[in-house]
Amino acid sequence: MKMKNIFKTVLFLLGFIPTFLNAQAVEKKILVLGVKYYNDNNISQHLIIQAKSKIDGKFQKIGNIPVKVFINNENDKNNFIGTGTTTERGELLLLVPASAKTEWSKSNNQTFVATSTATTLYDEARGELAITKAKLKIDTIDGKMVHAKLLVLIDSTWKPMVGIEMVLTVKRLGGNLNISETATYTTDTAGAVTGEFKRENLPGDNKGNLVLVANVIDNDIYGNLSAETTVPWGSKLIYSTNYNHRSLFARRGHSPFWLEFLAYGIILAVWVVIIYLVLQIKKIVKLGLE
Amino acid sequence: MDKLKENKIVEDLFPQKFGKQGTIWVISLSIICAIGLFAYGRQLYYGLEVTAMRDYVSWGIYISNFVFFVAISLVGSLITAVLRLTDVKWSTPLTRIAEIIAVSAITFASLIIIVDMGRPERFYNLFLHGRLQSPIIWDVIVITTYFIISLLLLYFPLLPDLKILIAFKERNGKWLQKLYVFLGSFWKNKPEQFKITDKAINILAIAIIPVAFSIHTVTSWLFATTYRPGWDSTNFGAYFISGAFLVGAGGVVVAMYVFRKHYKLEKYITEDHFDRMGKVLVMLALLYLYFNVNEFLVPAFKMKKSEEEHLLGLFTGEFAPIFWFAIFTAMFIPIFILLFKKGRKPLPAFIAGVLVVVGSWFKRFLIVTPTLLHPFLPMHDVPANYHHYIPTWEEWAIAGGSLAGALLVITFFARIFPIIPIHETILETESHENEKHF
Repeated sequence: MKMKNIFKTVLFLLGFIPTFLNAQAVEKKILVLGVKYYNDNNISQHLIIQAKSKIDGKFQKIGNIPVKVFINNENDKNNFIGTGTTTERGELLLLVPASAKTEWSKSNNQTFVATSTATTLYDEARGELAITKAKLKIDTIDGKMVHAKLLVLIDSTWKPMVGIEMVLTVKRLGGNLNISETATYTTDTAGAVTGEFKRENLPGDNKGNLVLVANVIDNDIYGNLSAETTVPWGSKLIYSTNYNHRSLFARRGHSPFWLEFLAYGIILAVWVVIIYLVLQIKKIVKLGLE
Repeated sequence: MDKLKENKIVEDLFPQKFGKQGTIWVISLSIICAIGLFAYGRQLYYGLEVTAMRDYVSWGIYISNFVFFVAISLVGSLITAVLRLTDVKWSTPLTRIAEIIAVSAITFASLIIIVDMGRPERFYNLFLHGRLQSPIIWDVIVITTYFIISLLLLYFPLLPDLKILIAFKERNGKWLQKLYVFLGSFWKNKPEQFKITDKAINILAIAIIPVAFSIHTVTSWLFATTYRPGWDSTNFGAYFISGAFLVGAGGVVVAMYVFRKHYKLEKYITEDHFDRMGKVLVMLALLYLYFNVNEFLVPAFKMKKSEEEHLLGLFTGEFAPIFWFAIFTAMFIPIFILLFKKGRKPLPAFIAGVLVVVGSWFKRFLIVTPTLLHPFLPMHDVPANYHHYIPTWEEWAIAGGSLAGALLVITFFARIFPIIPIHETILETESHENEKHF
């Protein structure tokens, strides 16, 4: 009877083996690669590749994903423009290298392709972004008016583009501050926007210089474009330091006078007494030797 | 007073050679010191890495020991100065015990600070680049001053005794005789010399009180001027001073018992002394208890979020066993023992004194360490052992070595000099006899 029970238990446990083995094969998750294009002040271009995956019903940024980036054709090794691994924030920043110039010059429209091979946790992935070449120009007119113009390359000619949203800002404390209460501007038939600079007395550098920035942000056709110019519209920064001031938090030799007076006064008073007493010992010695 | 009685006092109070017990005591303390020195050698060689002090707990049992030493050193001012200025005569046999405890404690307080430094050879930078605004500099200045004043307070009353000691050339041995001659051969018992000495002692008795208060107040400010849970208190100066008087008085009671028993000084350190010191201890323990209530009850009533973890850690958490041990051994149990007349007999008073000293050491540990483990900003991404502080054997050995060193200084002092002032005892006995006569 007892043996029969043991046999039944073993059979019952064996029934779980297929389930257990299936559990060993981890199902790989789908990875999404997003590509963003940036034209920085018409000087350099860079791409940001974002790796995301759906975890617990939400898209989360995925780090440590090896990514290769190509221009126009991922199957041609001549079109390879760079590789890297996404950071903890799920992003990879890649400068478009000079080696991509030949391919870049071939057409007004370009496609950037990002690919990643399968990892232990994620399937292989591919993402692409098609852009049309465009550039921003920024200038000032009539006093403190900011003027920016968007030009798009059409048939090897730079032509103004109408109806595109952009922002006009001024650089401030590591971020960008709108030049006035107007949040965005839309280009007119000349591809231009004009905004009045209303940030009076904004601290600039030691000459009062501020950096004005025009931005097209996340445009489906042109990507992210920026243009900068420096203007002397800020207030001059006068460097001041309390390094040499006397305070409780200052360096050695720069304590407040009241503290020095008090502390040295007390020290002096006590040590005068000590010295007096030591002299009394001398007096006692003298008396003893008489 | 007849010569026979005077000779008897000199005979009774003359420094004695170590007996068998004394030798064992000295060897034991020397071994503990040697282990401490070996551990310190390792610390010098490998750096502070051999300790359990890390980014958060940067002040461990070395600084606890420092605060303890500074606290116990305050007894010199209590017994010698306060009781002298208030014309309390019964404290005469205890003054030298109190003063040598003060001197040895303050010496080791200075040494343990250097031990706590990772690069002691850079100590001189404290003087070259120290800022007058920093409580650490105040502490350096005031400890030096207090040490000098305590030495003078030890030396001036010793002068008449040195003349007595020098008279027993054959008994002293070559080296001791040389030392006595060097220190006091000029003392001729001249009235002018006595006049200067009395005046000097009076000046010292007055000067040492503010300096003694400063030394421990400044030590408390090392903590209180730092914005941290448990240290951010306006009560700290008074809290430290009251605690210091308590541990100092406890230390004197312990020393009184040991010297009385070992050197058979029952005639000089009487039961009356224990009775009076017992009452002093009760008063000081109640005073310290009062400041403890202030220190913990008010923050606990408010229970600010930033201090909650620290306070609960003390009351019911990781440090609760040590906290309640310290509160009971340093205050409640000694008060309970010493409230009764029988409790103020030598042995129970000695036990109460030991409890006060032991409890007070742990109290200093609780002042220093738990606060460092509870910073305002939560600890993130640190190794697990950063969340706790368990001293390494090197730290225990060095701390133990410093305590043994302080006891060795007291022991050797008692071997070389009379632990009870001979001259003053003769004078007091004379004055008692005169009072009886009239």
